[in-house]
Amino acid sequence: MHAVTSSATLPRFCLPNFKEEEGMPVTTQELVSFIVAGAPVGTPEDPLLTMQEDLQRALKKQVKDRRWVMALDLRKCVGCSACTIACIVENKLPPGVVYRPVMEEEIGTYPNVTRRFVPRPCMQCDNPPCVPVCPVSATYKRADGVVEVNYDQCIGCRYCVTACPYGARTFDFGEKYTSGAPTQAGIIVGRARVEVYETAAGYEYGRAWERQGQESPIGNVRKCHFCLHRLNAGMLPACVTTCIGRATYFGDANDPDALIGDLIGSANVTRLKEELGTQPKVFYLL
Amino acid sequence: MSNEITRRDFLKISAFLGGAAAFAGTLNVAWDMMTNTAEAAGESGYALANPANIIYSACQQCNTNCGIKVKLVNGVISKIDGNPFNPFTLNPHLPYKTLMQQAATIDGGVCPKAHTAIQTTYDPYRIVKVLKRAGKRGENKWQTIEFDKAITEIVQGGKLFANVPGEENRVVTGLKELYALRDPKIAKAMADALPPILAEKDKDKKKQLVEEFKKKFANDLDKLIDPDHPDLGPKNNQLNFSWGRLKGGRSDFINRFTRDAFGSTNTHGHTTVCQGSLYFSGKAMSEQFAAGSFTGGEKFYWQADTENAEFVVFVGASPFEGNYGPSNRVPRITNRLAEGKLRYAVIDPRLSKLAAKAWKWMPNKPGTEGALGLALIRYLIENKKYDEKFLRNANKAAAAANKESSWCNATWLVKLDDKGAPTVFLRGAEAGLATKETIKDKDGKDVAVWKVSDKQFAFDPLVALVDGKPVALDPNDDKTAVVGDLVADATIKDFKVKSSFVILTESANAKKFEEWAEIAGVNARDLEEIARELTLHGKKAVCDIHRGVSQHTNGFYNVLAWNTVNLLLGNFDWKGGFVRVSTYDVGGGKADGPFNLSKLTPNKHNPFGLSIIRHDAKYDESTLFAGYPAKRNWYPLASDIYQELIPSMGDAYPYQIKALFLYMGSPVYALPAGNTNIDILADPNKIPLFITNDIVVGETSMYADYIFPDLSNLERWEFTGSHPSMTVKVQPVRQPTIAPLIETVKVYGREMPISLEAMILALAEKLNLPNFGPNGFGEGKPLTHMNDLYVRMIANLAFGEKNDGSDGVPDADADEIKLFLDARKHLPKTVFDPDAWKAIVGDKLWAKFVYVLNRGGRFQDYAKIYDSDKVANKYGKLINLYQEKTAKLKHAMTGKPILGYPTFIPPGMDVTQNPLPDEGQGFDLSLITYREIFQTKSRTATNYWLLSLLPENFILMNAADAAKRGMKTGDRVRVVSATNPNGEWDLKNGQKVPIVGKLKVVQGIRPGVVSFPLGFGHFAYGGVDVTIDGQIVKGDARRTRGVHANAAMRVDPYLKNTTLVDSFGGSAVFYDTKVKVVKA
Amino acid sequence: MLKRLLYLASAVAIVIGLWGLYDRLTAGHANAAYGSYVVWGFWVAMYLFFVGIAAGAFVLATLEYVFDVALFKGTGRLALYLTLVTLGAGLLHIWFDLGHLERIWKVYLQGSPSSVMTQIVWGYTIFGLLALAALVLTFRPAQQKLLKPLMALGLPLALYLSGAVGALMGVQAARAFWHVGLFPVQFPFFSLASGIAVMLGALGLFGDPKNARLPQQLWTLAVASIVLQIVKLYFLWADFSQSLYGGVPQNIAAVNQVMFGQYGWAFWILQIGIGSLLPIVVLLTPGMARRPQVAGWMGVCILVGFAVARANIVFPALTVPELDALMTAFQDPRLQFAYFPSLTEWALSAGIIGLAIAAFLVGYDRLPIAREASTL
Ligand SMILES: Nc1nc2c(c(=O)[nH]1)N[C@H]1C(S)=C(S)[C@@H](COP(=O)(O)OP(=O)(O)OC[C@H]3O[C@@H](n4cnc5c(=O)[nH]c(N)nc54)[C@H](O)[C@@H]3O)O[C@H]1N2
Ligand SMILES: Nc1nc2c(c(=O)[nH]1)N[C@H]1C(S)=C(S)[C@@H](COP(=O)(O)OP(=O)(O)OC[C@H]3O[C@@H](n4cnc5c(=O)[nH]c(N)nc54)[C@H](O)[C@@H]3O)O[C@H]1N2
Ligand code: SF4
Ligand code: SF4
Ligand code: SF4
Ligand code: SF4
Ligand code: SF4
Ligand SMILES: [Mo]
Repeated sequence: MHAVTSSATLPRFCLPNFKEEEGMPVTTQELVSFIVAGAPVGTPEDPLLTMQEDLQRALKKQVKDRRWVMALDLRKCVGCSACTIACIVENKLPPGVVYRPVMEEEIGTYPNVTRRFVPRPCMQCDNPPCVPVCPVSATYKRADGVVEVNYDQCIGCRYCVTACPYGARTFDFGEKYTSGAPTQAGIIVGRARVEVYETAAGYEYGRAWERQGQESPIGNVRKCHFCLHRLNAGMLPACVTTCIGRATYFGDANDPDALIGDLIGSANVTRLKEELGTQPKVFYLL
Repeated sequence: MSNEITRRDFLKISAFLGGAAAFAGTLNVAWDMMTNTAEAAGESGYALANPANIIYSACQQCNTNCGIKVKLVNGVISKIDGNPFNPFTLNPHLPYKTLMQQAATIDGGVCPKAHTAIQTTYDPYRIVKVLKRAGKRGENKWQTIEFDKAITEIVQGGKLFANVPGEENRVVTGLKELYALRDPKIAKAMADALPPILAEKDKDKKKQLVEEFKKKFANDLDKLIDPDHPDLGPKNNQLNFSWGRLKGGRSDFINRFTRDAFGSTNTHGHTTVCQGSLYFSGKAMSEQFAAGSFTGGEKFYWQADTENAEFVVFVGASPFEGNYGPSNRVPRITNRLAEGKLRYAVIDPRLSKLAAKAWKWMPNKPGTEGALGLALIRYLIENKKYDEKFLRNANKAAAAANKESSWCNATWLVKLDDKGAPTVFLRGAEAGLATKETIKDKDGKDVAVWKVSDKQFAFDPLVALVDGKPVALDPNDDKTAVVGDLVADATIKDFKVKSSFVILTESANAKKFEEWAEIAGVNARDLEEIARELTLHGKKAVCDIHRGVSQHTNGFYNVLAWNTVNLLLGNFDWKGGFVRVSTYDVGGGKADGPFNLSKLTPNKHNPFGLSIIRHDAKYDESTLFAGYPAKRNWYPLASDIYQELIPSMGDAYPYQIKALFLYMGSPVYALPAGNTNIDILADPNKIPLFITNDIVVGETSMYADYIFPDLSNLERWEFTGSHPSMTVKVQPVRQPTIAPLIETVKVYGREMPISLEAMILALAEKLNLPNFGPNGFGEGKPLTHMNDLYVRMIANLAFGEKNDGSDGVPDADADEIKLFLDARKHLPKTVFDPDAWKAIVGDKLWAKFVYVLNRGGRFQDYAKIYDSDKVANKYGKLINLYQEKTAKLKHAMTGKPILGYPTFIPPGMDVTQNPLPDEGQGFDLSLITYREIFQTKSRTATNYWLLSLLPENFILMNAADAAKRGMKTGDRVRVVSATNPNGEWDLKNGQKVPIVGKLKVVQGIRPGVVSFPLGFGHFAYGGVDVTIDGQIVKGDARRTRGVHANAAMRVDPYLKNTTLVDSFGGSAVFYDTKVKVVKA
Repeated sequence: MLKRLLYLASAVAIVIGLWGLYDRLTAGHANAAYGSYVVWGFWVAMYLFFVGIAAGAFVLATLEYVFDVALFKGTGRLALYLTLVTLGAGLLHIWFDLGHLERIWKVYLQGSPSSVMTQIVWGYTIFGLLALAALVLTFRPAQQKLLKPLMALGLPLALYLSGAVGALMGVQAARAFWHVGLFPVQFPFFSLASGIAVMLGALGLFGDPKNARLPQQLWTLAVASIVLQIVKLYFLWADFSQSLYGGVPQNIAAVNQVMFGQYGWAFWILQIGIGSLLPIVVLLTPGMARRPQVAGWMGVCILVGFAVARANIVFPALTVPELDALMTAFQDPRLQFAYFPSLTEWALSAGIIGLAIAAFLVGYDRLPIAREASTL
């Protein structure tokens, strides 16, 4: 965990319409000192804020100069699946579509036994097997490292699904959780009034995608995109912010000062199925 | 995209295919560039970062009530995240003064259930109108009924169910008739006349006193339940208002209605189904010495400050999956765990997620927690590793001198009876230290004082040995420090005495360390390692306990033992030690303004009499006393005895309840052996009128006569308080975030959504109750809408706790006020009426009021939560190592005195303290239960997102046990017990639900123990077909999957219609049943 | 008689197919049974099956038009027609399988050449056009000399494409079961075998009994079939034994799934029994291969076996989780490893097959396709 230090001023921590006010924190650094005002140097800071600071810095850079990576500290992951669900709600994923399940294993025999929880977002492989197979270049690796799916381009052939060694892609069949629910308005709330939450727009790739008919993203293959739309709004990915274990780290690997750098450079780092040469950009800390 | 990589991929493929397309990749590059530039140039297009689309509120998917940030688009909830102002989701949380724009982009961390609250609210099966039973109880046949008509029927009574076969002639008593005693003054007079009757020990004299009472109140005897037993109170008590989940605001509504207006004493919560004995041992340990005796014990408990602890022993606690709650406790553990600054041990028969990361997991035999606690106590004492300095502080002054905020009675002398058993504290007069005198006070009245040399006490002081000499002491004396001797075993005057510490030592020494370990079924060396580690971290070692300790037949004493381990470590109020909750006042009492609710109750009733659950009352004093054992247990130490509620009504002991209101509770589903409640509820003659507030037709509300729909937590108000481990002082506000999905009605001429409040207001209107209506808060101050109350409470919160207003929150500026309105433009006037609110609050407070609501409550800044090495929000009082008040009580079933110190009682006793024979009869497995983070009891069965994580629960069994039985994962198995030999729920409507579930075979559970997570196996809740107005509403089978084994839990053989109980602390017992698991 | 029955059957199938089509168009993929784990279902298997036949049938057509094999004179046009019909059936299957039907043009105009799938789509389109052109040419004696080079061009394309279909899966390092070197090599053999089988069926069941060359043609095709069935069994054995010896858990799981999984019966009974052993035994029985009805039905049997075999290539690799614990991490009917085609899938496929059969029959009866063969 980063601690409050008296380091130099960090970039402005704010939205475009942020309003300055006398005595109010302007930089994240100030915000953080503000939070722990009066507390001695070394008082902890929620890693979420540290990473949000880091994020602001990265956003100042050109897209090509950023290198988004994620680190999952398995010592801290408590297998709560808040990340799984936050992602689903954030991206309005229908039944059967999931970007970040959390896998559980039991290791050992009684009484020397433990359990391990391994969240599995898209690895944003540097050498992504899912990309070259796409017949229409609908999926590709961005300069900032994210492997994106262009929903308007994707024809839904699902070839990429078969190519991904991590099971990180799922197909949007256009289903609804409430599709079988009774519509007996007047007696119960009924399907019609509650469907709104399922048809509401998701904001993937910075656009409002309403779930209607068979329009994209229905009929598309979908996957984790490191919440690019949130990043662009100055926010951390949804799975990161909701991580109650604070096991999910995120940031710009090109930023030497970022918290993420400390982690992916540590000795206890590993990656899933490294032997395939996929060069994942999601790191696991053991 | 990096071209290099594309080339590599391309080479791989073209090598294979013989170099087909040489221009591969170029297209990709073009796409990539396009999207990047588009993104860089364009708006973020992200509606959820806009502060005008956010309302801050509080989750209630579980009872932790973490702060949430509800993100809306066009009035529809799009996403829920954590409120970063609220310390339950960010640690440290944002300073209260942070601008809304900044907070908008910062999401706090919340557990998966918080996100899925969307599906609790947008649940197609939520009821929208009042439902009235159209068939037998539990038959699932309903008719919708106009709200007003339902209210009229409930108030007037009559043959309300004449259309139901068998009930043609059943006359229901209306509330009008139960509202018998209407004059608060008479009630007060009657109440005042009772204590002498109760205090009278002689049977005949007692009768005599009752006769005198009857004579005195001859005109009003018809208003009593039973004039021969005036201590039962008035008929008003035959209305009972109970609840499962209740928070501030709504609790004020219920109490104002039931107690202050209607005059019934029967308002009961669900504490004992939850962690009752934790609360009530906390109460016993926090009783304060005042005017010579012990009083004012708080119903509360302590938890560990894991944010600062170095070593924690978690016992029967599950902060990664349940507890209060994962969102706030997890990061306060994992961050420092990974940094190596914290290590912890877990004592739990199941390898919980917490245990998976523990330094040591110690799976003990269920119910032996007390033995482990005593083992540690013995270790600490034997090795002199207790905090001697702290323990010797005999009063406040001594504590202060030692930089302690709290102190305990370890050194105080306790008198022993002739058998050497401890009784009550020795008093100064008995020790010959104090002489009683009578003096005149400043008004010239005679008062007794006790003189000790030059000092004078208003009570007979307590005594401790100081350097071997008895010294009189006042525990609350903040001037003269008394530092007592810990070890005292003496005879003073005619009294054999021992210090509390010695009594404790002897209790712990009842068994050898190894023997305690053996009782618990653990390796003594492991236990010793834990004990040693506990001694290595000073006040930063702490034990954190929860349901696994308290929900046993011996729960009360288990908890006492573990609290006492902490006491010996002297870690109360210390950073990294044992801490307590702290919340901002909303009642306006502390600052006496701007809206002091206690003064805004102009015509307060005086409810009196014995409660249906016989709490806070002594059997041996009552007019019902008829030798031992009593018909049912009495609970002088506890309250809110959920498992006694309906069963007592079933037995009409001590009297019949004629109208039962149940808000947001589901005893049938939640209680161990909750099936026993079905038998009673299904019979309309036992509880003639049964009304619930619910959001769906649930497992308990399906037996109701009327179900009133309610607002979900995302549609309503509440003040959600905090939990013991939270060191920040807070008061989160739950507020409406969307337009209610349910019907609007008119009460007192005002429109409002049907809700708990609407129901209460309408009943009050119809009954013409005081403290409600146009003059409900006093002349010209109406209470005719829920907001009339809540707006005042928010104003109190904004105003702060200082009379001069100096404790107020900042003012919202014009922009913030605009934001406040903008974010709520989709709300209808029935729930959001700023102009009317402003009129109540006043211009001056309005900006503060807005400031509070904008941030979802009030939260102390992180910078203020510590007081150097201690927490700022302290307990700061006497802690009873020895409890005199407890020791003075008699057990209603055995007639024996109740012990006031930690001791070990074997688990699995019936209420008369006899061991159960089940194990000998082939029930070879211990059944326990726990929660997965993915579910709560009832609310989340409707959350399809969560069901994807775990569509169905299971019976957890150790691989060795499974091998023995030839069972494997996925087998369908049935759980049977001595009191449920068929392994089924009998719904008393012709249906039986088998207690059958899938087996999950694991290594991570103690052999001989099976467990199951709660939240599954529903048999209502939108999962089954119900008929409403003749239409079948088809159930959704996804909601009923899995197994709910509560019905297999043991019924008490003496009580016969309820679960096993902790007859001291009141807990309902979840973990002491022996079962068999057989293939289904 | 058989023809009339088939007409009737295909009409019924087309009606069923129309319902399937309606469902597919209105509900999208909602009523399909595949999910995100078994992400390719019956339609993809049928696609592989049909395009395999198409390539094989084309190769047979070259017997007449490129290699001038006397025995097969007069079968070329039939073979070419079968190529087009089966190719059509194959491409329709894969088209309906797309998430966005309306975007198929993108594969042509914005296709990524690095994708084997693009290569296949482009290739098969060219191939289809080529076969069509060839068929047209056969009716234009004036331009006969163009036919041979065109067919000669088509031959390697057919072989390449059938290999590429194998590569579609073979290139995937992620799927150990597919990622074996031999994989793409096997496919041309399969194609050929199924092409021969379809000819066996067509000639056997519909060939002109008066045609004197027919028994000899059938016998020749039968012998080729037997050989190829043996090769096929060898490949299967090689694949499975390699997988089992190799010890890669994914492979073992996949093989187990095929042989002993929920649909193991289809492997043993349909693929091995009816698809390979039965034809081998029957056709080896002296005299049997020359009896048109018997030979024809054996051709059909082989095709059924191939249909199952295609499915057994596609599904098993997909039914093995990429990461074991994924199975329980997040559960949904779409995230299961069990798969059986839904009504919609069967229906639409039935429709396409019905359409293909009808097209074949109509072509056979109304176009001068088979006539040439029979008049000779
Ligand atoms: N097997 C097993 N059983 C357990 C436990 C366990 O660990 N294992 N834990 C126990 C514990 S700790 C507790 S606290 C109890 C809880 O027991 P209860 O307090 O009885 O149960 P809840 O599930 O909190 O509340 C249930 C009722 O509230 C209704 N409800 C939900 N939302 C609303 C609302 O917004 N308004 C209104 N009016 N009603 C609403 C539901 O429909 C349901 O009928 O369960 C206990 N039961
Ligand atoms: N996900 C989720 N979280 C919740 C709730 C919920 O319903 N769902 N409810 C909230 C409420 S109301 C409450 S009261 C809290 C409860 O929070 P906790 O009391 O912390 O949780 P539980 O799962 O009831 O039990 C705690 C642990 O006790 C263990 N245990 C069971 N029997 C025994 C025993 O005999 N001995 C010992 N030593 N351990 C035993 C269980 O395996 C479990 O790990 O959770 C709150 N948080
Ligand atoms: S994890 Fe899968 S989907 Fe993600 S980049 Fe790698 S191969 Fe592609
Ligand atoms: S499904 Fe979409 S993204 Fe995936 S390969 Fe096909 S077209 Fe490309
Ligand atoms: S980064 Fe975003 S898209 Fe990816 S798993 Fe996390 S929440 Fe989902
Ligand atoms: S939210 Fe964090 S702690 Fe929870 S499962 Fe996901 S990564 Fe693990
Ligand atoms: S722990 Fe989870 S479910 Fe419980 S209140 Fe907090 S966020 Fe809500
Ligand atoms: Mo609870």
